Amino acid sequence: MTRNPAADLQIDSAMTLNQAKVGCDMQIRVLSGPGCERLRDMGFCEQLQVRKLAGGRNLICSICGTRMAISRELAEQVLVSPVG
Amino acid sequence: MANVSDVPSTVVLVGNPNAGKTTLFNALTGSNQRVGNYAGVTVEVKSGEVFTPHGRKLRVLDLPGCYSLRANSPDEKVALDALLGQLSGESKPSLVVCVVDASNLERHLQLVLQVIELGLPCVVALNMIDVAERSGLRLDPVKISEELGIPVVPMQANTKKGIVEFKQTLRFPLPLAAEATWLTTGDDPETVRRAFVTRLCELAARRPDAHQQTRSDRIDEILLHPIYGWFSLIIIFFSVFWAIFSFAEVPMGWIESCQESLSEWVKFHMMEGDLRSLIVDGVIGGVGGVVMFLPQIVLLFLFIGLLESSGYMARAAYLMDGVMSKAGLSGKSFLPLFSSYACAIPGIMATRTINSSKERLVTIFVAPWMSCSARLPVYFLIIPLLLAEKEGTWKQALILFVIYALGTLTAFCIARLLRGRLGEDISPGHFLLELPPYRKPQWSYILRHILDRALSFVKKAGTIILGLSILLWALSTYPKSKSNDQADALSHSAMGRIGSFIEPIVKPLGFDGRMGTAILTSFAAREVFVSSMAILYRVEENTNEEETRNVLRKQLAAARWPDGRPIFTPLSLISLLVFFIYALQCLPTTAVVARESGSWKWALGQFVFMTGFAYVAALAVFQIGKIIGF
Repeated sequence: MTRNPAADLQIDSAMTLNQAKVGCDMQIRVLSGPGCERLRDMGFCEQLQVRKLAGGRNLICSICGTRMAISRELAEQVLVSPVG
Repeated sequence: MANVSDVPSTVVLVGNPNAGKTTLFNALTGSNQRVGNYAGVTVEVKSGEVFTPHGRKLRVLDLPGCYSLRANSPDEKVALDALLGQLSGESKPSLVVCVVDASNLERHLQLVLQVIELGLPCVVALNMIDVAERSGLRLDPVKISEELGIPVVPMQANTKKGIVEFKQTLRFPLPLAAEATWLTTGDDPETVRRAFVTRLCELAARRPDAHQQTRSDRIDEILLHPIYGWFSLIIIFFSVFWAIFSFAEVPMGWIESCQESLSEWVKFHMMEGDLRSLIVDGVIGGVGGVVMFLPQIVLLFLFIGLLESSGYMARAAYLMDGVMSKAGLSGKSFLPLFSSYACAIPGIMATRTINSSKERLVTIFVAPWMSCSARLPVYFLIIPLLLAEKEGTWKQALILFVIYALGTLTAFCIARLLRGRLGEDISPGHFLLELPPYRKPQWSYILRHILDRALSFVKKAGTIILGLSILLWALSTYPKSKSNDQADALSHSAMGRIGSFIEPIVKPLGFDGRMGTAILTSFAAREVFVSSMAILYRVEENTNEEETRNVLRKQLAAARWPDGRPIFTPLSLISLLVFFIYALQCLPTTAVVARESGSWKWALGQFVFMTGFAYVAALAVFQIGKIIGF
C-alpha cells in the first residue's frame, strides 16, 4: 500500500484531534491551517503517532514520548485517524 | 604553528529547547562563562571558552533553544544570525554542535538537517541517552552518523558521561561540512526532510510499540487532575509566596542593621557637613534601600529555578492558562504577576520565561499594580486613620483585601486593553507547550543562575539608583536654611519648594502642600512616605514603628486647612489610598523595567501612565465624593 496522505482514502474518515477520544492512539494525517509550521516544529508531523491523554480547554497528548499541551484552536488544525 | 590566529575559532551549540544545550555548555566550559545581552531582542547568548585535546582555545556560544531555523520568533532569529555569522561581534562559526534529545529524535533531527543544509560543519551531540534507553528505545548512533555523514557522539551531559569522547571531535582540523544528500529531488524541502527523518528513525531509533506509562505520567495524573491539580497548584504557590515573605525577613534584617552600623560608623568618623550627609543619607541610604530587595530576589529565583528545572512550571502554566487568558495573557504570565505581590522587581525579572515579546511587555507593564509589600507601611498608616480606630481589626483587613483586589482587577483590565492594542504576535500565539518529564533539579545550574541574576541586579540597578538617590538627596538638602529644624529645612529645600509649588495641583485631590512634598519624596520608594510625613508633621521618630505611626496619626487627625476645616477627611484619605494603589513610586522598579524591556521609553511611559492614572483616579474619587456630599 502506498502511503501518500493526500490520496489516502482514510482522509474521509479523519477527524480533528479535538474529536479524538482520550486514551486513543491516532496517526496524524494532515495538518492544515495557519499554525501548521509551528505544529511541525514542535513535532506534530504527518505520519507520526499521537496519543490523546486529556481533553479540556487545552489538550494534552503524547507524541514520540513527549507530552505536549496544545490549545483547542491548534488541535483543530490537526487531522488524525485511528491506528489499526 | 604559524597560522594559529589570535582570534579563537567559534563553536556554537544549537538545538531544540530542553535538549540539554546549557548543561553541555556548562560541562564544556566549567565556570568561566559570561552573559552577553544582545540589544533589540531580550534573548541571551552565553559565551565561554573550551580547550581542544591539543590545547587550542575555542570560543563556545550557547544559543537560545529553537525548533527550526525559519526565524519566526526573536530567539530563532538570534540563532539563525549566529549560524550565519551575522550576530554583531561574532564571526561565522567554525563548527556547529547540534544538541539533540536522544528520546526525541523524530523532532530534534529536523533542526540538524536544516543546519547541515546551511553548509556548516556539524557534529551531533546525542544527549540524554540514559532517558532514551530507559524508555526502551534502541539507538544506533553509528547508523545515524553514516546516514547524516557527520560525527554523532552519544552522551549524558548532566553526569559528564561522553564529554571526553565529544571533545575528541573538537580537535583540529575540524570536521568538514556534510552534503545534504536528501535534497537531490526537486520536492518541497520540508516534505523531503520529514521523510528522511522518519526513515532514519525507523532504521536507527526503534521505539517499543506499546505506549508505556512513565513515572512522569503517574505524577501528572495528580498534578494535572482537574481538581487535585488545582489544590496542588494553590498549595505549592502559597508555600513559595509564604517562604519568600518569611525567609527573606532574616537576611533583610541583617542588611538593614549592616546599613545602620555603617551609617553610625561614618557619622562617628566624619565631621558633620554636607559630605557626611551625602554619604549617610544619599549613598548608604539609597543604595542600602535597593540592596534590601536582594534576599527576596535570590529566594524567588531559587524557587523559580526549582520549579522550572523539576518540570512543574510548565504544568502551572498549563493550569493557569484559562484564567490568564481572560486578561489577554497566557499561563506563562502567572508566575511573574504572582511574585509581584511580594515585590515587583523579581516579578519583572521573572518575565524572561515568557516567549511572546508582546505578552512579556504587557506583563511587565501591569506588574507594579499587584500591590507589593513596600506599600504596606503606607496602608498601615492610613487605614486605621480612615476608620478612626487602632491597628489590626477585621474591618481593616477587609479594606486591605479590597485594595489588593482593586489593584489586581485594574491590572487585568489594562492588560486586556493593551494586549488588544499591541496586536497579535507574528505567529498567532496559541497555547502549545512541551510538558517535560519530571527531573531532579540541577543544583549547579540553579545556583549559577541565581548568582547571575543577583550580580546583574546589584550592578546595573545599583548604579542607576546610586545616581538618582544622590539627586534626590541634593534636592531635599539644597538650598539650605539657617534653621536647625528638619521640617523647616525640608520646606526650604528645592523639594519643599516644589511641594508648595505643586499644592495647587494636589489640592483637587484633597491633599495639602506637605502631603504633596511627602508624595514627591515617596517617588524614590513608597515607604519613604511615612518618614517624610513624620518629618513634615514634626513627629519625633520613635524606635518602634507602630508607635511612630500612632503619634503621627494623632497629628494628622488634628491637622487643619487655614480656614479651619480638617485636612484628613475620610474622603481625602480614600483619595490618598487610591493614589498609592496606582502610582508607580519605586525608582528600582523603573530602572529594572528599563533594563528588562530594553527601552527607557517603555519604562518612562509606564511611569507617566501609572502616575497619571493614579492622579486621575484620586481626583475622580475626591471630586465625585464631594459632589455626592461626603
